[in-house]
Amino acid sequence: MTELAFSMNAPVVAHSPRPTAANATAKMSARRLNFHYDRFHAIKDVSLDIAENRVTALIGPSGCGKSTLLRTFNRIYSIYPKQVASGELLLDGENILHPKYSLNQLRSKVGMVFQKPVPFPMTIFENVAYAIRHYEKLSKAEMNLRVEQALNQAALWDEVKDKLKQSALGLSGGQQQRLCIARAVALKPDVLLLDEPTSALDPIATSRIEQLIAELAGEFTIAIVTHNMQQAARCSDFTAFMYLGELVEFGPTEKLFTQPGKKQTEDYITGRFG
Amino acid sequence: MTSIPVAPTRLVTQARRDASADRNFRALVVLAAFIVLVSLIGVAFSMLWGGREVLAGQGLGFFFSTEWNPVENRYGALVPIFGTLVTSVIALLIAVPVSFGIAVYLTEAAPVWLRTPIGSAIELLAGIPSIIYGMWGLFVLVPMMTEYVTPWLNDHLGALPVIGELFQGPPIGIGLLTAGFVLSIMVIPFISSVMREVFLTVPVRLKESAYALGATRWEVVWNIVLPCTRSAVIGGVFLGLGRALGETMAVAYVVGNTVRFSASLLEPGTTIAALIANDFAEATDSYRSALLLLGFVLFVVTFFILAIARLMLMRLSRREGVQ
Amino acid sequence: MNSVQSQQTRTSQRLLRKRSAINAVAMVLSCAAAVFGLVFLGWILWTTLSKGLVGIDWALFTQSTPPPQESGGLANAFFGSAVMCGLAIVMGAPLGIAAGTWLSEYAGARRIGMVVRFVNDILLSAPSIVLGLFVYTLVVAQMGTGFSAIAGAISLAFIVIPVIVRTTDEMLRLVPAQMREAALSLGVPQWKVIVQVLYRGASAGIVTGILLALARISGETAPLLFTSFGNQYWSTDLASPMASVPVVMNQFTASPYESWHTLAWAGALVLTFFVLVLSLLARAILSRNKVRHD
Repeated sequence: MTELAFSMNAPVVAHSPRPTAANATAKMSARRLNFHYDRFHAIKDVSLDIAENRVTALIGPSGCGKSTLLRTFNRIYSIYPKQVASGELLLDGENILHPKYSLNQLRSKVGMVFQKPVPFPMTIFENVAYAIRHYEKLSKAEMNLRVEQALNQAALWDEVKDKLKQSALGLSGGQQQRLCIARAVALKPDVLLLDEPTSALDPIATSRIEQLIAELAGEFTIAIVTHNMQQAARCSDFTAFMYLGELVEFGPTEKLFTQPGKKQTEDYITGRFG
Repeated sequence: MTSIPVAPTRLVTQARRDASADRNFRALVVLAAFIVLVSLIGVAFSMLWGGREVLAGQGLGFFFSTEWNPVENRYGALVPIFGTLVTSVIALLIAVPVSFGIAVYLTEAAPVWLRTPIGSAIELLAGIPSIIYGMWGLFVLVPMMTEYVTPWLNDHLGALPVIGELFQGPPIGIGLLTAGFVLSIMVIPFISSVMREVFLTVPVRLKESAYALGATRWEVVWNIVLPCTRSAVIGGVFLGLGRALGETMAVAYVVGNTVRFSASLLEPGTTIAALIANDFAEATDSYRSALLLLGFVLFVVTFFILAIARLMLMRLSRREGVQ
Repeated sequence: MNSVQSQQTRTSQRLLRKRSAINAVAMVLSCAAAVFGLVFLGWILWTTLSKGLVGIDWALFTQSTPPPQESGGLANAFFGSAVMCGLAIVMGAPLGIAAGTWLSEYAGARRIGMVVRFVNDILLSAPSIVLGLFVYTLVVAQMGTGFSAIAGAISLAFIVIPVIVRTTDEMLRLVPAQMREAALSLGVPQWKVIVQVLYRGASAGIVTGILLALARISGETAPLLFTSFGNQYWSTDLASPMASVPVVMNQFTASPYESWHTLAWAGALVLTFFVLVLSLLARAILSRNKVRHD
């Protein structure tokens, strides 16, 4: 695995009980990544590393390409015509943009949770079991255990254990979002992509999700897009600031927020534009 | 973590299996879409093929002759085409203003609590099988035409110059006018529900600002709603016309089934669909060929009418998409 | 100055009176149009009900179509209609759903998709008698078996297909894009996502489409006239002519016999009732589902 793309020598103050940003290895690496929506050049020559078992936050004003970047990590964009990524995007050293790379395999390794919670029109249990069933033949008992484990990881088990057979559409917004997280972690992916996972939720549900991100970080490599700088500061180890499709600055979260290296970054995090 | 990594080879075979299943599924649905596309061409071609005998025997003269003589194997399409057009025009002359009135009533004039139930009732009536309209026409409307309407038309309109000829005829109740009237009752639910739907697409703020300027309801309809939806309204009318042209069972009993040209609307006549419905099953081979060719004519005409209707309706939905 | 002002007021008042008069006339006319439409539609329903009720009895559902002037029922016709409509749905629904899936999930806004959508819309409103002629030349004349129930079912299937293509396409497109993204993000192949997630999300709409298609074909007469033809007797043979309610109604209506007329109206009443119940059911399913989605 390659070294992270920026200098790790900068002093980093630990802000969580987790290991510090130092000594991280890259799980995913973008190398001169470009993205086009038809003729619109949405991402310009971006290179960055997503550190293994750390939380990397992507911030920037809306339309800066942060969500687009995240959507290239599991190539979900490819279901739409005229959306093209070029350059290199490595997962464990393999280029996932290579046409021969299996999309389904990629997506089973790189899970994603979206802005708006979208439970499938099935029971709570089935929502979680659905994708597992495709990849593994488990006995009923094994499956029950697996679903319970996933719901536990998403801190939802206690709230839903008595209504697993009910439709997932009956859950509250925050619960639905945690169900979506459970659904993603149930597959035991390596990487978890979170696309503004709390923007549709109230503050209480938001803080639960943030807590959850901290808990999941030891086990998964997490990339999170957020428009909320406090959120990035609270729950990430690394932060990338993007503007107009370019990566302006990327570094350990503490450093980026306390000693930003670029004027644009400073302006943005101090709220002078956005 | 206690997870056991899934063996990579299994993942690879699974990926391969998934990819081929995806390809097969895609091929399946492409095939289905292809069948839809081909069936339209098939419909047109099959009738042209079936009509080749008559087409070869009589050439294009088939389309311009008024003679219809199965015994001597001579066929002309003009009379049934004429009947089809006349009944459809009568149907639209009645149905369009009435449908427009209904749509205006249901979107502007009626008390709000009445709009949905009446609107739904009219939409439900659009689903009643057309044969029932035909039976009602035969058992209820025809006696009324014989008893009251035809004598009145003879006495009043029949005496007028120029158009008088249209309304002179025996009091038998069946004929182009009766058929056109039954058709109009049948297409009213179609046209009025399309019109009502497109009227509802006009943004409320547009209407509200007109009301705020002191416009009356009628002025809002005439100056705001109608210009906004003109193409879709015409589309709805053409949709109704397409239905009227091809409708079979609503006219079959009341049109008279006589292949003879007559200037009077009160004389029996026929339409393409009614002629096919009445004669096809018992027809000889060459007669069948003529009827198939007639069917081809009907299909081509309705195709163009419906194509215009769809294009008109699409224009509205496209503009809506932009908004 | 004063007189000019008062004249202006008078003119505008006159204009206002004229405008409100026009408005009143227009509103009265529109109301009259609604009454006109409703009266005739109500009249047709009333005729069906009053003439049909006379013929409703047990024999209607237990005995086959009688010869003229004798008593009997429409049992063979009900059976034939059920068989042919059922077969038409069984043949048409999967094909329609598949084609609708292609339109919504694979073609999207591409030109070829627009073409197929357009063609399907034309088929949707094409005269049904023309579809009957098509199946006659395709099946009846080619197979050499003559009129048959299976040919009738095929002609009805051609009416079913465009209805279901359209509802499937529309309902699948109503499923939010995030649902597709979320399901595909789990590494589940697209076909499984479509079949297990999207169809489930659109199921109410697709079922509605099937019900509406059934309502539509159950009263179709024209395409059956020269495909399934008719059969005076009880028949379960798909390769031979089979009776159906609308075709029997057609035959009996055109006859001079009073007893046949009564049976035709009884058939009409049952048919209308069936169609109205199906449409109401379809609406109920759709509206209930809409509420749940919001």
